[in-house]
Amino acid sequence: MIDMVKSLSVKSIPWLGYLLALFALPQFFDSILAISIFNQMAIGIVFALSYNMLLGQGGMLSFGHAVYFGLGGFLSVHALILMEYETLYFSIIYIPLIGGLFGLLAAIFIGSFSTRKAGTVFAMISLGVGELIAASSLIFSSFFGGEAGISGDRTYGPTFFGADFAQNEQIYFVAAAWVFIATLFMYLFTQTPAGRMANAVRDNPARAEFIGYSARRVRFISFCASGLFAGIAGGLFALNYEFITEENLNAATSGRVLLMAYIGGLGYFIGPIIGAVVLTLMNSLLSNYTELWMLYLGIMFLLTVLFLPKGFAGFVMMHQVAWLNGKLKTLCVPYLIVGLPSALFMIATVAMIEMSHHEGESFPFLGVSVDSSSLLTWLGFAMLAAASYFAALKSLPQLRDAWENANGLDGDEESSQ
Amino acid sequence: MSILTLNNVSKNFGKTEIIRGVNLEIVDGEKHAIIGPNGAGKSTLFHLISGLYKVSSGVIRFKDTEIQNRPPFEINRLGLARSFQVTNIFHRMSVFENIRCALLWSKGFRYSFWHLLARQSELNSAAEHVLDQIGLADKAQYPAGELAYAQQRALELGIAIASGAEIIMLDEPVAGMSHSEAENAVELIKKVTAGKTLIMVEHDMNIVFDMADRISVLVYGEIIATDKPSAIRSNPRVQEAYLGEVPSNA
Repeated sequence: MIDMVKSLSVKSIPWLGYLLALFALPQFFDSILAISIFNQMAIGIVFALSYNMLLGQGGMLSFGHAVYFGLGGFLSVHALILMEYETLYFSIIYIPLIGGLFGLLAAIFIGSFSTRKAGTVFAMISLGVGELIAASSLIFSSFFGGEAGISGDRTYGPTFFGADFAQNEQIYFVAAAWVFIATLFMYLFTQTPAGRMANAVRDNPARAEFIGYSARRVRFISFCASGLFAGIAGGLFALNYEFITEENLNAATSGRVLLMAYIGGLGYFIGPIIGAVVLTLMNSLLSNYTELWMLYLGIMFLLTVLFLPKGFAGFVMMHQVAWLNGKLKTLCVPYLIVGLPSALFMIATVAMIEMSHHEGESFPFLGVSVDSSSLLTWLGFAMLAAASYFAALKSLPQLRDAWENANGLDGDEESSQ
Repeated sequence: MSILTLNNVSKNFGKTEIIRGVNLEIVDGEKHAIIGPNGAGKSTLFHLISGLYKVSSGVIRFKDTEIQNRPPFEINRLGLARSFQVTNIFHRMSVFENIRCALLWSKGFRYSFWHLLARQSELNSAAEHVLDQIGLADKAQYPAGELAYAQQRALELGIAIASGAEIIMLDEPVAGMSHSEAENAVELIKKVTAGKTLIMVEHDMNIVFDMADRISVLVYGEIIATDKPSAIRSNPRVQEAYLGEVPSNA
């Protein structure tokens, strides 16, 4: 712990920037919608980072991570309810800690048997446990509240420096503080023997056993830490929404956190943060514009898996060699000549998808009204899609050459573009 | 005197007997080679000693401790480290991290999540020292998976020796290397295992006869001879098993 505090003074600059960004955001975007989105992002960031401790750092593919998030959230709402009845009396800023501790307890219990093996066995157990808890949550309604879930009121606790937490903005600052603390500790965990051995066990569990480490114990520690932080995220959720239902611990939520971490980039610490931001934005903003946003999310996930297997963060990091070679600039024009037609192709395709969805109606699309019954419009978008597709395809070799040149490759390595 | 003893060790896979009643004594500080034709059970024997496989019967002692059927990490903690026939490193981690991880347990860090590695100067300089020894100091920050084959083998050797184990077991350490690479590897092995007990499986007889103080010959899961290289060379049973290969090219 002393080590951790000391290290802050050394590498504190990016962290100070992060802290500033977290606390300055509401100064620039202060609408109710923006604050609500920031709160969701905060929850998503902690949740996705905790998931990355499992999959990205520890090589454990979990289909039931929402269990720890949900259980943490449920206990947090119960804590809010107890405050309402004056059984508990402390500032609600500590609620995520209660969520975290319950997430940790659940992880200790479930991890004691699920971390025996990684791979398919672990994935199947996580799926089974996830389903079991989700199903139980509908049965044990005294704790989980049945389908309706349970709700509390965050304003019953004592005020904290005058804040009564009636406003979402006040909750944002609580969330921002927790996001900062959780991010920092999750990062520091990666820099410790247990964190580093999690990487070793992920890469080669058999070898790790021959350097003195029980792969199972290493996985168990990561699993527990991950449960703790997922529970903290659940506590933040409870504070933000003041209610929680079975949906928050079922397979759909587990799937969403996997998407966040994967799209952002599993192998990189910052990846899940990017994933949480992007997915929250898609969820909150895109859903205002189209009912099909889930479809686009699915397509984005597919494209990420196919073309950017290391996620957005991996895409950025892919340019490290080119940057070190001082040739990053040479990629700008090739990116532009592939990117522009690709963007046009995307717009035309999305337009046609939306036209089939709106069947004969007119609808607004990128600021113009599109008539989905017009054959001419269909033809126009189809031609644009075809032309831009071929234009992008034609300019690909140029990008590939530029990529190989910038990376000093001989031409036999894939450019992943 | 003997640091590792195998008493009547057997291993069956189903009804197939792979190792049959092996008795072997490894003397402290010796360089001991295990040779034998393909399929003789050399790697299986390594797996039994290092804990990867459980024995079907028999006793394996490291000093005074029975180690048969213990998990690999416990055997490693006692002071027995090994390399593998197929390169077995942590591919996605840097070369430096590979070595540092191999040092963690012996330096007492265990499963700590409260020590920051960057601040452990003794640990880090120990890792750098091992990298110097195996000649990979300039590749410290490379992802281990991107090293050339011979360098990966050197890294694997580094992982095995890093913890300061008393017994180092090397399974075909120069397999797949060119002649000059193999020569360098042999020099490296000699250097880093000086003063330690070395048990190696190797097919290259020149290397075996050059390095080993004693040789055990394993044929069909049985040790047919254990002796000094000169005696092994002239042993008629060994000659028969090898169809004359051993003495002629040694």
